[in-house]
Amino acid sequence: MKIKWFLILAPTLLSLGLLQSYFWVPTYETQTKGNPDRVTKFISPSIADAKILNPALNADTASSQITGLVFEGLLDYDEELNLRGRLATDWTITETAYLIVNSQAHFPDGTRVTPSMMEMRIKQAIENGKLVELKELVAEISLLPPQLRIEEVTLTDTDGKPLSVQVTLNIPERIKFSLRRVDQHFFDHLIPILGIDYEKQAPLEQWVELSSPDKRKLVQPQLAQLIPIFEHNPIILFNLRAGVRFQDEHEFDAGDVKFTYESIMDPKNLSPRTSDFEPIKAVEIVDRYTVRVVYKRLFSPAINAWGMGILPEHLLNDTALQLEMNKRQLSAATRAGFGMRDSEFNRHPIGTGPFRFVKWQGDEFIHLTRNDDYWERPPEYKDYYYRVIPDPVTQEVEFLTGAIDNYVPEPHQVKRYKKDDHYQSFSSPSFAYTYIGYNNQKALFADKRVRQALSMAINVDEIIEYILYGEGKRITGPYPKNTQWYDHSIKPIPYDPKGAKRILKELGWKKNADGWLEKEGQVFEFNLITNNGNLQRKAIMTIAQNSWYKLGIKCNTQVFEWAVFLKDFVNSGLFDAVVLGWSMGIDPDLFQIWHSSQFGLHKLNFVGYKNPKADQLIVQIRQEYDLNIQQKLAYQLHSLIAEEQPYTFLYTPLNNLVLDKKIVVMKDDDTYSKIIPTKSGNIFFYFNRWRKLEFTPF
Amino acid sequence: MLSYIFRNLWQRGILLIIVSIIAHSIVHLAPGEPSEVDPSNPRMQPEDIAKIRAAFHLDDPIHLQYLYWMRDLFTGELKSFKDSQPVLPKIWERFLNSLPLFICATLIVWTLAFPTGIQAAIRRGSIYDRGSTFLAYALISVPGFFLSYIIILWVVDLFGVPVIGMRTFGMEDAHPVFQSMDRIWHLVIPSLMSALTGIAVLSRYVRSQMLEVIGQDYVRTARAKGLDEDTVIYHHALRNALLPFVTLFGFLLPSLIGGSVIFETIFAWPGLGRLGYEAILSRDFPIILTINFIAAALTLAGTFLSDLLYAVVDPRIRLE
Repeated sequence: MKIKWFLILAPTLLSLGLLQSYFWVPTYETQTKGNPDRVTKFISPSIADAKILNPALNADTASSQITGLVFEGLLDYDEELNLRGRLATDWTITETAYLIVNSQAHFPDGTRVTPSMMEMRIKQAIENGKLVELKELVAEISLLPPQLRIEEVTLTDTDGKPLSVQVTLNIPERIKFSLRRVDQHFFDHLIPILGIDYEKQAPLEQWVELSSPDKRKLVQPQLAQLIPIFEHNPIILFNLRAGVRFQDEHEFDAGDVKFTYESIMDPKNLSPRTSDFEPIKAVEIVDRYTVRVVYKRLFSPAINAWGMGILPEHLLNDTALQLEMNKRQLSAATRAGFGMRDSEFNRHPIGTGPFRFVKWQGDEFIHLTRNDDYWERPPEYKDYYYRVIPDPVTQEVEFLTGAIDNYVPEPHQVKRYKKDDHYQSFSSPSFAYTYIGYNNQKALFADKRVRQALSMAINVDEIIEYILYGEGKRITGPYPKNTQWYDHSIKPIPYDPKGAKRILKELGWKKNADGWLEKEGQVFEFNLITNNGNLQRKAIMTIAQNSWYKLGIKCNTQVFEWAVFLKDFVNSGLFDAVVLGWSMGIDPDLFQIWHSSQFGLHKLNFVGYKNPKADQLIVQIRQEYDLNIQQKLAYQLHSLIAEEQPYTFLYTPLNNLVLDKKIVVMKDDDTYSKIIPTKSGNIFFYFNRWRKLEFTPF
Repeated sequence: MLSYIFRNLWQRGILLIIVSIIAHSIVHLAPGEPSEVDPSNPRMQPEDIAKIRAAFHLDDPIHLQYLYWMRDLFTGELKSFKDSQPVLPKIWERFLNSLPLFICATLIVWTLAFPTGIQAAIRRGSIYDRGSTFLAYALISVPGFFLSYIIILWVVDLFGVPVIGMRTFGMEDAHPVFQSMDRIWHLVIPSLMSALTGIAVLSRYVRSQMLEVIGQDYVRTARAKGLDEDTVIYHHALRNALLPFVTLFGFLLPSLIGGSVIFETIFAWPGLGRLGYEAILSRDFPIILTINFIAAALTLAGTFLSDLLYAVVDPRIRLE
């Protein structure tokens, strides 16, 4: 009976064959079983796969995490979130300022302006006259001859379409000032010489010629930018680290810095970082290890862009791309459009960072290995794996079996892990916050007292306790809580429903027969919306609705799919109030979110917050190069926005992380200690010194 | 026979084109944009988005986009939006990953379903029969992903061994025996989970086929000849009961490609199903459409193949 035996034996043998493999597999406690090298590898999980491993081209978290290890920028942030040198050893910031000599203007004493007179008067005033205080600031003054410049300007025509116009600029004589440091008020100092309305007297139209004169009307608003009377050109001089080599042994130098800048600005490469580098006027190579970066205007956060990884010029320049095209035997059609974006480099990156790239298996893992040639102390780990695990439950399961080394627990799991001494747990502040934003353009929310009352009605502490399981911190304003821009002395709006009621009553809102607040026949009613898929936001929405209901406010809530939410409501401004969150940067620039000019289609000030004082502070902050003054201004801006409550600022969530308990930080003397997050909340700051022991310490 | 084949192929070809047009329209008309041209990304300038849109032909009329897609697909120039990699090699690589899972699951289904089904048929009405019927319906009714999570948590909690992915991570430098055993272990649970419904359904089929055949005259004749029960069941009855299952082989083909989106996602298995799933999330049109196209082609080929197979094994059927 062969068939019968076959039918019995086949499944039995198959099952046995499969199941016996269980006895060979390692567990969390026995990670080194049959595999002693496990402790030299760090395995990190990720929800998503990387997209493109080129720091100039990627925009997603996964890719930037990898490029952050393979590449290195000129600078980065230290434990205190101050800039520190990496590929640059140090840098100095100076300024060149230009003043256009307007020969049609008059000095305050009535004499007509001439170039030589202007130069002489300023020099004299600085030497021994009214402007002695500038003596220490100004290093050099010279007179520049008139100049002819042709520029391409991109405008938006009446239909909102982009349009390119060629303009010819007849720039008159200019006075060039070399300043020892950046001073946004430099030209204000010159007012005694120039007179108060020197800028207004300039005949800008006469200096600008158009290729198509009918476009003049469109160019008009841009004239002041095209040919500024007062021009600030901040300059950063970077001294580069000598002897640093790319992972293919080629030495890093100033050419690579310039090349990186040019690649980002090359329209063909479609770099998502163009806006970070747009303020740059020129990148000049002074010598092999010195680079001078000249900026078009005052914009202090611009230096942060240099934290981006530096690309190897010799692997990506035109010659290299030409070679690659030949090697890959591409068709003529493909060659025509071939650029850095198409290069194999983006899948096999080579940088100067602490880890070398080894392999990228799509949607599975990215493997890096230690760069023993790293200029600083090389990492302790021999290998770094970045594993793609889209599902959080799967991530946790892998963590529990020792197949990954860190795991980001969900808020409700945090307590459980903190109690479990098989693992080490961390909670540290993040750069994000959640808020309820009111459409400030709607009459209902136009009065700040209404917004304050709405904020007072919401018990934020309760939200943090019950929705975040305590894993959040209250915030009072628009800056991340762990940066130096956040003013901790500002008190949060108290939870005070009675006070809120009183304010609304003072403003004329009275309860009607149905129990709703009413004023001039209008019921206090609005819609609160958020995006689908975020349970916390949905819960906040319900809590807010209920809190306001108690005041007699009729709030309707609705959840939309993300694409619809943005397109039909947020971007088009057709909403009353939203629950949303921001993920912030480290710099104090809030232009995109709060400046009144950033209200409009696809812009980020979608709540339409407009306040001249805030606008002024925002511009001053981004133009200020002195950190202490910046901080003072940021405090002012923070307190202003906190007072105005265009948002109800809710909380910043804590970043939670659980690590394998066997991981420790190595010290220089080869002893080890526990991992402690930096003040800014970075757990991975000393990652290069992490080592996994074969036993559980502490 | 030949004319049948040609006519059928021709019809299926037309059908394939219609399917691809419908799929293309649905994918393009669905809300949402490829993540590369997402206007809500503050880092992207409107001009850059316009350029990328032009490069992806997203602003062309939909019928032109269809033609571009077809042209690129058949010249092998088709590239993913997400990482600009050629689509076909990418799909092939993922297919090779899905293949062991598919083979293992299929083996489990076919080797386990037959003995259980036959036993249930022979002992009709017994506790074993009722028990297996109950279990089969339970397995069909309980969602696979739910059961998978339960099993994963149970295995991890009780045994503390990894069950996710194609292998345990960080084992590259381990002893080869450990490595290969590890790979087999990782196949066990996902393939078992994706096989469960298959076992349940197939064993039901086998049972009902066997019951039908056992009641036939020729089985009674075999018994009357004095043959022992095993010969009657496994030689005379089983052979005839097998006939309809030949056609099922044809239907295996399409499940090669879309077979286990759920299980590949749960078990982080870098296979085709997950590739398709992620492509849908990021609106990577070339990948979605190509996988869909291949799946449609395989489905049509599969049904065609089962028609042919049936004609081959059952001489009573003629294809005209």
